[in-house]
Amino acid sequence: MITVLLPLMMLSGCISESIDKITEEGEIAPEEYVWEDDGELVIVTYDVTGLTDDMITKFEEQTGYEINLMKLDDAGSVLSHLLQYKGVQIADLAIGLDNTYLQTAIENDVLWEHFANFSNISEEALIHYDGPLAVPFDQGYMCLNYDTEIVDDVNLTVPTSLWNLTEDDWNGKVAIPSPETSSPGRAFMTATVDYFENDQDNTTDWTDWWTAMAGNDAIITTGWSEAYETHYTGGYGEYTNGYVGDANIVVSYCHSPGVEAWYNGNWTKSKALDLPRAAFHQVEYVSAVQGGNLDAASAFIEYLLSEEVNVNMPTENFMYSVLDGTDLPEEGGYRYHSTIPTKAAEINATVIADNMENWLAEWNDAMVAA
Amino acid sequence: MANKYLASIAVGLYSILIIVPLWLALDRLVWVAGYDVTEWLSSLDKNFISQGVLEFTILQALLSTVATLALGIPIAWQLGRYHWPFQSLIRSLLTMPFVMPSIVAAMGFMHIIGENGLDIRTNRDTWFLTLIIAHSWFNLSLVIRFCEPVLSTLEPSMEEQLRLLPGGKTKWDRFRHLWAPLLIPSVAAAACMTFVFSFTSFALVRWITLGENTLESMMASIGSSSGIKGYMVSKNEIILGSSLIQFTILLFSLWLMSWLQHRRQTLLPTASEKVVKKKNALGWIFVIPALLFAVLPLIALAISSFRITESSANGTKKYWGTDGWEYAFTSTASLPSAWDALYNSVGYAIITLLIAVPLGWILAQSIRDLEQFRPKLARTLDLFTMLPFAVSSVMIGLGVMLGMIRINAEFFYSMWLTPVLAHVMITTPFVVRIILPALRSLDPSYDECAQTLGLSPFKRFFLIKIPMLRGSIIVASIFTLAISMGEFGASWVVTRNSDWTTLPIMVDSIRSIPYNNSLTAPAANAVSTVLMIIALILFVSTEKFRAKRDGGMF
Repeated sequence: MITVLLPLMMLSGCISESIDKITEEGEIAPEEYVWEDDGELVIVTYDVTGLTDDMITKFEEQTGYEINLMKLDDAGSVLSHLLQYKGVQIADLAIGLDNTYLQTAIENDVLWEHFANFSNISEEALIHYDGPLAVPFDQGYMCLNYDTEIVDDVNLTVPTSLWNLTEDDWNGKVAIPSPETSSPGRAFMTATVDYFENDQDNTTDWTDWWTAMAGNDAIITTGWSEAYETHYTGGYGEYTNGYVGDANIVVSYCHSPGVEAWYNGNWTKSKALDLPRAAFHQVEYVSAVQGGNLDAASAFIEYLLSEEVNVNMPTENFMYSVLDGTDLPEEGGYRYHSTIPTKAAEINATVIADNMENWLAEWNDAMVAA
Repeated sequence: MANKYLASIAVGLYSILIIVPLWLALDRLVWVAGYDVTEWLSSLDKNFISQGVLEFTILQALLSTVATLALGIPIAWQLGRYHWPFQSLIRSLLTMPFVMPSIVAAMGFMHIIGENGLDIRTNRDTWFLTLIIAHSWFNLSLVIRFCEPVLSTLEPSMEEQLRLLPGGKTKWDRFRHLWAPLLIPSVAAAACMTFVFSFTSFALVRWITLGENTLESMMASIGSSSGIKGYMVSKNEIILGSSLIQFTILLFSLWLMSWLQHRRQTLLPTASEKVVKKKNALGWIFVIPALLFAVLPLIALAISSFRITESSANGTKKYWGTDGWEYAFTSTASLPSAWDALYNSVGYAIITLLIAVPLGWILAQSIRDLEQFRPKLARTLDLFTMLPFAVSSVMIGLGVMLGMIRINAEFFYSMWLTPVLAHVMITTPFVVRIILPALRSLDPSYDECAQTLGLSPFKRFFLIKIPMLRGSIIVASIFTLAISMGEFGASWVVTRNSDWTTLPIMVDSIRSIPYNNSLTAPAANAVSTVLMIIALILFVSTEKFRAKRDGGMF
């Protein structure tokens, strides 16, 4: 079979040429952009809850554009989609690439400069990227969250170091979304790079920790929702179908307990673990896609960044708004139960972009080594 | 031989449909991953996502096969050897799971093990066993369909004679010397098919054994990042390695199966069921649990679509209602309504039928025509039409997706009909398998006689061929509709466009909705129930036309 197919495939190199050509063409300057406004806005995203029906209908009414949502599994799939369909106008707008994915998209030249007008974006949100190819629309810190009813210093001790999680007590009780497929997973992995770089111990590095975690049967999931809903005992997962509840600590947001409290009338058993450098500042971006309907994309960016929509991020999308002077609401203990990490991991966007592929390969090797 | 051109066109069209997308996909994967076959194969062990997947796939497929046989043979025995009231109904009920879409089975079992059922879902250790049982549920009918006809028609005098011989004194002796050799080819053929289906299981694995993958479900999950030059190269290697292994294993199983099928055709003295079958009051001990087992997941599914559980920190409220159905049949910005999915499913199924049945028929006819003059070529064409059986749904899905990107992504992406391509690829081989035996059993003397009487080819076709093939064509058509309606693997990979959402994909998407929504399970089960009802209607219709004693899978 292979002996027949391989020479055929070698001959077919000519078909691949067109794709090579697109890849080689390089960056297109804004003045060379060509697009057609067909009255439709195709948004490629993953499950960003912020895009409520209500919000979409309002945008459609205000602008006359018709929205077509293409929901993929995770942030990784959004980037893959953009790369796979590069040079072909399928999506107009990408929502949900975060600061661990954005640079790859920019380097591969799949985004266009938007011309949306907005103001009042906080400096904090622009810290990782402030160029014209992507606009931050929400942000938050990734943290480990634990179930205080089980991790109560009686049954399980509250970890004071990530190494604690590699101990026998934690065997099979830690749920982490995979950095290969999920953006919270990537964010957390990136934080571990910084965490172990700066710890007291010079004999081990971050990959050793991951190997130890894999050896300790850490639950690695495809995405955040499987880790949090299906496996974590401290969150709302136990009220959902398909709940398993075998993890007492999970990678989520430092403000996830706040969301829990807000839902449950100021009550939650979930708490964020504030370990220095084990938290990661995640910013999610909205970007116009190369070759897409730039009018519609820009209009939506403007809408998403408008005061009216963006201040509702905490209650609509369960993330912080990117606008200056905003905070989580006090209501229902939202702000009270949310943790702002004392010291988040410090890794800048260029370092992330330069090393991400290597880190993922090293992570993979570390996991396989277990 | 007037239809020589037609035959060439059909063969050409089929080659294009089957080979071009797969070839382009393979080419694109190789373009990214390189030509090093050993690198593809070793990538499975070198990557976290694929590590242990092959072992898991083989283990669960083997155990599923053993479990299916262990459950299926006693039931086939009872059904075949004894007389039962409502015999054909019992047989239909027991063989029905096979036509159920895999996603329907997944949802049914999820309910049975969930908190409103056995409540064992929270125990991780039960998942593997659940998967094995679900696979047995699915494939039980294969064992029954393959073995029961052999058992129910064997001339009773054979056993009587054996009783008098030294080697047939005890039950064990008779089993050893009569039943075992008699049944082994059928059992082995059913085992091969069960192995193939369990090996390529996707929907059930995706939902039941979280964190464990078959090669099929693993390829599906990483497929979306494949085919991009210089990006996640290892994913492409994994897909190439997995496909190669999967293709080889499936091809071998199918070869074994066809070899066994050949051996099954040994002529044995047969008798009417009425003579063979006796009464057996104790047999109900097997038959009743078997019947319950066959219908339980489906009944559970239908009931659970009306059962809503609202849980929160303040307690749990359970009630009956149609909210799940309403939720499923209302469109939102992120999900089309089940009406749209139904429309797509029915549309795709009908178009698939219109292409696959004529195409498969002409191919079958070509094989039959060639058999008389050029048997070797006929055999080659026969094998060629079976080739897609060795290519799993997800591989076909990846083929269509990557092929589409290679040819003209924008065109295919905007075309509503694109998913039909995958459906045609999957169903055409089945059509050939169903119609070919019917063509072979056609007595040529009818046609010759009509020719002598001066009937035109046109009249002969409509007045003789069609009426004589009617049953097979109807079975092939219904089977095509059923496969297309329930198709999950390929659609899951291809359906990135919400305009293409079909019922099975809709079930999966609803069930995947995150956040605290009490309606996800009832709504997913509601859509599954619709699919189940469609499958049931199609199944009941085939039962009427199926050749009674064919003993095959269809």
